[in-house]
Amino acid sequence: MSVQSHDLHLLTGVYAVDALTGDELDEFEKHLEQCPTCAEEVRGLREAAARLGLATAIAPPPSMREQVLDAASRVRQLPPSGARLITANGARPRRRLIRRLPRPIAVTAMAAAIVALAVLQVGTRHQLQQAQTKNQTIASVLSASDASIELSSSTVGGTVTAVVSKHDREAVITAAGMPTPDDAQVYQLWVISAAGAPRSLGLLPGSTSGATSPVLADDVQPGDQLAVTIEPAGGTKVPTTNPIVEIHTRP
Amino acid sequence: MNTPSVGQQPHGRGHSEGHGQDLAWLLAQVACGDHAAFEAVYDQLAGPVYGVARKVLRDPAQSEEVAQEVLLEVWRSASRFDPARGSAAAWVMTIAHRRAVDRVRAENAATAREQKAAPDIGTSEDVFELVDMALDRQRVRRCMGRLSSLQAEAIKLAYYGGYSYPEVAGLLGLPLGTVKTRIRDGLIRMRDCMEVPQ
Repeated sequence: MSVQSHDLHLLTGVYAVDALTGDELDEFEKHLEQCPTCAEEVRGLREAAARLGLATAIAPPPSMREQVLDAASRVRQLPPSGARLITANGARPRRRLIRRLPRPIAVTAMAAAIVALAVLQVGTRHQLQQAQTKNQTIASVLSASDASIELSSSTVGGTVTAVVSKHDREAVITAAGMPTPDDAQVYQLWVISAAGAPRSLGLLPGSTSGATSPVLADDVQPGDQLAVTIEPAGGTKVPTTNPIVEIHTRP
Repeated sequence: MNTPSVGQQPHGRGHSEGHGQDLAWLLAQVACGDHAAFEAVYDQLAGPVYGVARKVLRDPAQSEEVAQEVLLEVWRSASRFDPARGSAAAWVMTIAHRRAVDRVRAENAATAREQKAAPDIGTSEDVFELVDMALDRQRVRRCMGRLSSLQAEAIKLAYYGGYSYPEVAGLLGLPLGTVKTRIRDGLIRMRDCMEVPQ
């Protein structure tokens, strides 16, 4: 099958979403090696396609984490050079490189997780229920159709993100990359409305890696301001310092 | 997620690129055999990797197998990641999507896809990831909204459905050439809308 080079160029899109198969795929990959423009376009379109993937995250079964990390300790890594897995133009490898994990590992890990969970439930069923309710509320805010995202950099570094549902009057706040305060200080989160005193939403843990545990704020009115201040350990009833972050929710 | 501390990371995570800088840095550590860095990569990307597999394959058990393969592949071939050729997230997601699509095409796609399960939003501890997901999701939704319905439909069938473009053409009742250009034009628009680094 022979396709004109102009037609081949139009295949960058279907190639970027892995919708190209058979002879056409082979032909296009050969073409890519000689067409830097195509390779460059594929790169950009792949980035766009990857966002479609990143947006579909689903929490995997908790047992998967241990299995993967454990398996990694038994899988030899490739050296930095040598035959390229993904070649310069992004051509795919032909061989199946990793064998599937043996089933028994999965089953054992799953059983261990269930036992651990059962033990936990006996001791703290009430706490667990509370945690689940909170998590469900957080999940519902994050997936609310009217959820808007406000993001603001803090004056001490890092950022604070708020996902606000106007309809539910709720917000979920997390921080990322903020330095851990010294032992005598804490980050305290506030909601400040046009009328009325600032209301404390509790403490926000600092974290230099990843995001902090999310804080759920209820009764957030449109136009309210969210703020973080540095306060003495234990927190205070009213803010005593200037905010390091202020987020204005949409009116 | 409670990522273990892995040395000094370059500060913050470039939120606007979603999972940019830090991941590239982490992958470089992974390439040197750093298990803690791999845990951090896992915590950032296991959700999207599993999510793509679920979207394409539907079947939870198969999706988990594919996700495990992909993540181990990331561990194994981290040294081959080249930041000059694209973002770390795109590198991983490309591997993930290909694996899922390869699997669906290798096996009898029809049977696997009929077992549709409601996508579970996952349990408790992963609400951390959900915040980042919400950022991505909102941007993607906004950008998808700027595509023509034909472009969006074709891209969804190809990417989320795992269909080849002749299959997409068949499903939409369109000529092959039209599907080719719609997918390309749509992705270009997505790329520009999402301010993907050029």
